Amino acid sequence: MDVLQTSLDGLMIGSTYALLGLSFALIFGIMRRINLAFGACLLFGAALAIYLEPLLGWGAWGLFFITMAGAALASAYVERLCFAPHSKRSGAVTAMIASFAIWMQLDEISSQLLPQRTHAYQGLELPTLWLGEISVRGDQLLHFGMALVSIILLYILLYKTRLGLLIRATADSPESAYLLGARVPWLGFVVFFLAGILGGVAAFMILSADGHITPLFGLWSTFKGLIAMIIGGVGSLLGAVVGGLILGLVETHAGAALGAEFRDMVTFGLVFLVLVIRPGGLMGVKVYRTDNAAQERV
Amino acid sequence: MDLYLASVLTNMTLIAFLALSAYLVLVVGEVSFGQQAFFCIGAYLTASVTALAGAHIVWGLLAAILGGAVCALLLGLLTLRLSGLYFAISTLCFAELLRFSLLHIRFTRLIDGREIGPDGPEGFSNIRWIFEHNYAVTDFLLLAASCLIILLGLLFGLQRSHLMLTAHMVGHDPVLAQSQGFSPHRYRLGFIALSGAVAGFGGGLFALFNTHIEPAMFGVMLGVHGLAYAIIGGLGTPLGPLLGVVLDIGLLESIRQLAAYRMIVFGGLVALLLVFRPEGIASPRLVARLRRRWGRRRV
Repeated sequence: MDVLQTSLDGLMIGSTYALLGLSFALIFGIMRRINLAFGACLLFGAALAIYLEPLLGWGAWGLFFITMAGAALASAYVERLCFAPHSKRSGAVTAMIASFAIWMQLDEISSQLLPQRTHAYQGLELPTLWLGEISVRGDQLLHFGMALVSIILLYILLYKTRLGLLIRATADSPESAYLLGARVPWLGFVVFFLAGILGGVAAFMILSADGHITPLFGLWSTFKGLIAMIIGGVGSLLGAVVGGLILGLVETHAGAALGAEFRDMVTFGLVFLVLVIRPGGLMGVKVYRTDNAAQERV
Repeated sequence: MDLYLASVLTNMTLIAFLALSAYLVLVVGEVSFGQQAFFCIGAYLTASVTALAGAHIVWGLLAAILGGAVCALLLGLLTLRLSGLYFAISTLCFAELLRFSLLHIRFTRLIDGREIGPDGPEGFSNIRWIFEHNYAVTDFLLLAASCLIILLGLLFGLQRSHLMLTAHMVGHDPVLAQSQGFSPHRYRLGFIALSGAVAGFGGGLFALFNTHIEPAMFGVMLGVHGLAYAIIGGLGTPLGPLLGVVLDIGLLESIRQLAAYRMIVFGGLVALLLVFRPEGIASPRLVARLRRRWGRRRV
């Protein structure tokens, strides 16, 4: 029974990791770049929401929308300042370092908005559901549903619309997409905005489940997103979702079996093993073989 | 010299070792988020050798160099077929794994009534070698700075050497290097090991200077800062990473009054700088141009 309960908890947490992983995979898919400032964007969105909340008084849903909007805006800002100017092949590391600088900047702005070490982040009050001996927190179930809806919406956007077609074409080969008339720089901006929205949803889910926020949230969510993407397979969207779920399961099981202090060690050990043994991750072996970025040097 | 100034300068010197080690990895075309791991290994080894075993500082620093190099070589061997992003993330995971393992390593002994040794998250306290041997802060600064100058001198001397030029070629285009008969793998492993040694040495000095080290000091922030200094400074010359360090710590310390807002300004400035000088301040192109102009004038 315990195993079932732990697995269920893992899936609930994993669904938020899946969203974080998806945001990374989206950006990596189209730009072949890592956005180190991603977590800082989420932190900024959440900090802005907490800062504005007493002024507006919109409650939990207000927090949700401001977090999402703040994260999306910050993400778009990062794209303009750090990634658009370095779109050439040689700019990969430069873009990464520029995004690191903006990470520091957004972190500092957020800690100005949140002067104390921890701040309460209001969640939705929902009753806990019991199925026999297994319990599910109502808000977590709602979050799981939200993650599912977000993933389905993203799927529809990417696979059923013209914009999605353009994004996928650019991810496949930026040069040929550009030659066929896609506005590749604009698509980069759109993708960053999308990743910000997805990340904002994930940030709301994580923070309201925890009930509080600390300045370390930025670094934490960057790690989780990166790890989910790597486990699943770099460049694969389905992989990112699966990777996020696996990460959630592994974390909760390792935490239950070995104690909380070994949880992160197990996670990092897993990622290291995946990279050493099967660098393409679970889904991305084909992507890894054909991916120029895997062979690409600075 | 002012004590405050001396300690800021010492810190800059110590971080410069880390930045130089990131530079050495960048030369062969890889990005490492894990240089802090070798810095950490060096710090713990020096601390153990000098404080636990009571040996001379030279042995401590030698252990740091060797330990850093061996661990880097091991990491390099494990990640031999990875490159680019994959290599960067695996170094990050390695560093975090090491840091988390240190949280569980406890080996303390009572020496002169003091608990000495690594003590999990509490870290390693009472590394008192430089106190016991009456080194003032300025003396230590002199020691660290002269080591740094020797290292920089070595790198400068090798700048136009066959070894360095081949390493740069491996970094630019491994396929080209291979077609010329050089083994990219060997150069990569060699430079990664070298970077481990440099970082380990810096870490050893760091432990001696700080007298207390703990796993939390060697987080990913430290490594990414080192990497950022190397990139901001530029890869054109070994002085580049130093330039990055001076710019960051020097500038930040001089605008201390604006402490609360300094990262807001500084982060934006760095990003803007990279828009205009994507290869860093002392970019290879700038260095080549200066060298040409300089050479002509001398002729």
